[in-house]
Amino acid sequence: MRREGLTYAAILLLSVGFAAAAPAADGPTYGVVLKTLANPFWDAMAKGITEGAKEAQVNIFEQAANSDQDAETQLNICNTMLERNPQALIASAINSSNLLPCMKTANEKGIPVVDLDANLDPAVTQRAGVKIAFTIGSDNIAAGGKAADFLAQHLGSNAQGPVLVIEGLAGNVTGEERAQGFKAELAKVAPGLKVVASLPGDWDASKAANIANDTLQRNPDLVAIFACNDTMALGAVESVFAAGKGGKVTVIGVDGTTDGVKSIKAGRLTATVAQLPYLEGIEAIKDVKAILAGQSVPAVVHVPTLVLTAQVLAQGTNPYLKYVK
Amino acid sequence: MNLASLAMRRPTALHSLGNMIRLESLVVLLLLILALSLASPYFLSVSNALNILLATSVIGILGFGATFVIAAAGIDLSVGSILGFGGVTGALAVNALNLPWPIGIMVSLLAGAFCGLVNGLLTTRARVPAFIVTLGMLGVARGAALVLTNGQPVYGLPGPMVWLGQGRPFGVPLPAVIFLGVAAITHFVLSRTRFGKYALVIGDNQNAARATGIHVERHLVALYTLSGFLAGLAGLVSAARVNSGDPTAGTGYELAAITAAILGGTNLFGGRASVVGTLIGALIMGVLQNGLNLLAVSSFYQQMAIGAVLVLAVWLDQLNRGRGRA
Amino acid sequence: MSLLALTDVRMSFGPVEALRGVSFSVAEGEAVALLGDNGAGKSTLMKTITGIYRPSGGAIRFNGQDLKDKDPGEIRRLGIEMIYQDLALAREQDVASNIFLGREPTRRLLGLPIRMIDTARIEAEAEAIIRRLGARVPSVRYRVGDLSGGQQQSVAIARALTFSPKLVIMDEPTAALAVREVEHVLDLVCELKRQRIAVILISHRLTDVFAVCDRVIALRQGEVVADEAVAKTSMNEVVAHIVGAS
Repeated sequence: MRREGLTYAAILLLSVGFAAAAPAADGPTYGVVLKTLANPFWDAMAKGITEGAKEAQVNIFEQAANSDQDAETQLNICNTMLERNPQALIASAINSSNLLPCMKTANEKGIPVVDLDANLDPAVTQRAGVKIAFTIGSDNIAAGGKAADFLAQHLGSNAQGPVLVIEGLAGNVTGEERAQGFKAELAKVAPGLKVVASLPGDWDASKAANIANDTLQRNPDLVAIFACNDTMALGAVESVFAAGKGGKVTVIGVDGTTDGVKSIKAGRLTATVAQLPYLEGIEAIKDVKAILAGQSVPAVVHVPTLVLTAQVLAQGTNPYLKYVK
Repeated sequence: MNLASLAMRRPTALHSLGNMIRLESLVVLLLLILALSLASPYFLSVSNALNILLATSVIGILGFGATFVIAAAGIDLSVGSILGFGGVTGALAVNALNLPWPIGIMVSLLAGAFCGLVNGLLTTRARVPAFIVTLGMLGVARGAALVLTNGQPVYGLPGPMVWLGQGRPFGVPLPAVIFLGVAAITHFVLSRTRFGKYALVIGDNQNAARATGIHVERHLVALYTLSGFLAGLAGLVSAARVNSGDPTAGTGYELAAITAAILGGTNLFGGRASVVGTLIGALIMGVLQNGLNLLAVSSFYQQMAIGAVLVLAVWLDQLNRGRGRA
Repeated sequence: MSLLALTDVRMSFGPVEALRGVSFSVAEGEAVALLGDNGAGKSTLMKTITGIYRPSGGAIRFNGQDLKDKDPGEIRRLGIEMIYQDLALAREQDVASNIFLGREPTRRLLGLPIRMIDTARIEAEAEAIIRRLGARVPSVRYRVGDLSGGQQQSVAIARALTFSPKLVIMDEPTAALAVREVEHVLDLVCELKRQRIAVILISHRLTDVFAVCDRVIALRQGEVVADEAVAKTSMNEVVAHIVGAS
């Protein structure tokens, strides 16, 4: 009995301990729902949000699902967040419909909803009767286009040869737009480069590595790989080097994650279209503060992107470089 | 004298309560609620209580299925995948085939039951261990869901189906109503009918079950089918909640369902099981997750907390039962 | 008239002859001990009587009926109950549930066509059976796993009685019991006899056999080597038969 009592007491103490560790919320609090924290991109976003909150002098209440595929859990987190009555709900939905019930409740409570990193499909959102204060994110089509521009410049606009595109999670708008933007722009600026395969890598490094490996078997003369995020690009780079083609195949990613930057510096990854999530986080908080103060913010806020290469990194003169984390 | 031994020695009301649930689980749940009420001003409210029930509903429904299977000393690792498969097939039926919504609901439920039936038949007729069969089904059902949808979520269900997941009659979320309804029915079946009793007896002593004329194989097939059916229902509710049949939905939920059952006092090796216990077990996980969310504790710590509580609850049970009768 | 009569029963598994022409009979209300070393053919013989094995030759008649071509269920319905050494009890279930295992009476739920187990009736009837048997079980609501070995044996006997058997076969009922509990189980055997139920007791414990049985049958290498009234034999004689020294 004594041991049991001790255990029960321990549970109680632990819970209260958690409570004590929780930040005391004075002043306005913004709720932030992210996809996951187990990913450098979202980690940088979270840091930007923290920085933005410091600058704007507001509190942040931030939660994320365990994985960026767990749509239902994210909805639970979002619902729970509303129980705290935040001043604003900044959410990065796992897919275009999973958070809509929560956002609708937020609408009813008069809490403005921000679509962080443009995960919603405006048509679906409208049909569900959900109002979004503004959408903030990179222009994914433009980001894909920038990758194509870089490739044309890197290999020459007369370059010939097969190109592999590794898409994101099938059905995800972000990945689709990047792939689409890349393919459209590439046809314009370097018609000699042909996309021979465009396959979903599900944002996953090992899947991307397998895809790159398989494609290299079939197309040994592959000249370039465009992956819709850095995690996949890094997986693809490993396959390229393992096949003994390191340096011969241009590999471009998107996001500009810490690992991506490291890989570029190490001479493995050729380039990445950096998303600047850190900047996006700062910007999102700033804009939320603006609308709460009654100022107007465009319905779609585009955060700039930056093509990172070994050269750009070595020069270190680009003003956006300080937002690359 | 501790609670469980008191319950065990005295054939009274407390005794039957102790048979129904593990009192430690209830104590852990109440302590959690008490602690979280002290810790967060947002925790103790009607709307948050409903929110917890809503968030727990899908895992809970899976947990009730797991309770029956584990009662009979079986294991079903495939329910998370069947959930995804059931949600996807129902969504495709109404979306791609343009069938009316009641058919969509039927398709989800039957797809789940069918997967369960296959599990049951392979386990009993082909004599492949349930662990292997359902591990195989975990892959097959998930793969089938991905193949059918090309890996893309199927967006947009008809109004009545969405209502199942998002409706709030009298302000109560419908998934919570379904959750508690299924709890009531399955509790009755497990504790009051021959079907439930035989599941327990099969898990307790399969030879005894056979000797007394229980059709063990037929019963096991029925139990796996029930587990699959409930996974199909959970898939329907889950899809309705997020208004899309997501082929990756429910990944890892099988372990959460088993955890709920074990937290509630169901013996992993069969013979002892309770639906009310599983309800409490699921609520322990739901309350913990909700409370930690309210306290802004990172999701990484939440997984640790749930793992710790599981081990703790079973350990308390061991302390109370004395010699490790797991 | 004898209740059970075996005539020249043979059983072979391929070239191995497990029973080589066994003949004996058991009368109503009689307690017969079946003795024999390991491998003498005791369990084969019991499985042949209860219908799990079909004899390769000879005849078994019970209460005037030929048991040939009867399956275990039918034989059980005719009135032969076997209590195995492992007792076939569900440890997590209570005493009442175990007594009615597989045959729970049900009633309708609120008049609906849904059948639920009639727990009250089970408990009342189990209570009555236990009392009639004089078994020492504290409550029919106790979990069987919490009972002692002897109490569990009582539950198994009580369950056998609910089938209204004419013959109960018990496999080593006292083997794993404490001394005090042995007496109680033997009392139960006597109680069965008083109720005119025949008992075949398989046991290694000769003192138990001599305490309650009317007759001993010794089996060696698939043959009956002795069939004598307890009153007319001694333990030494019986041991000699079992090991084949005579």
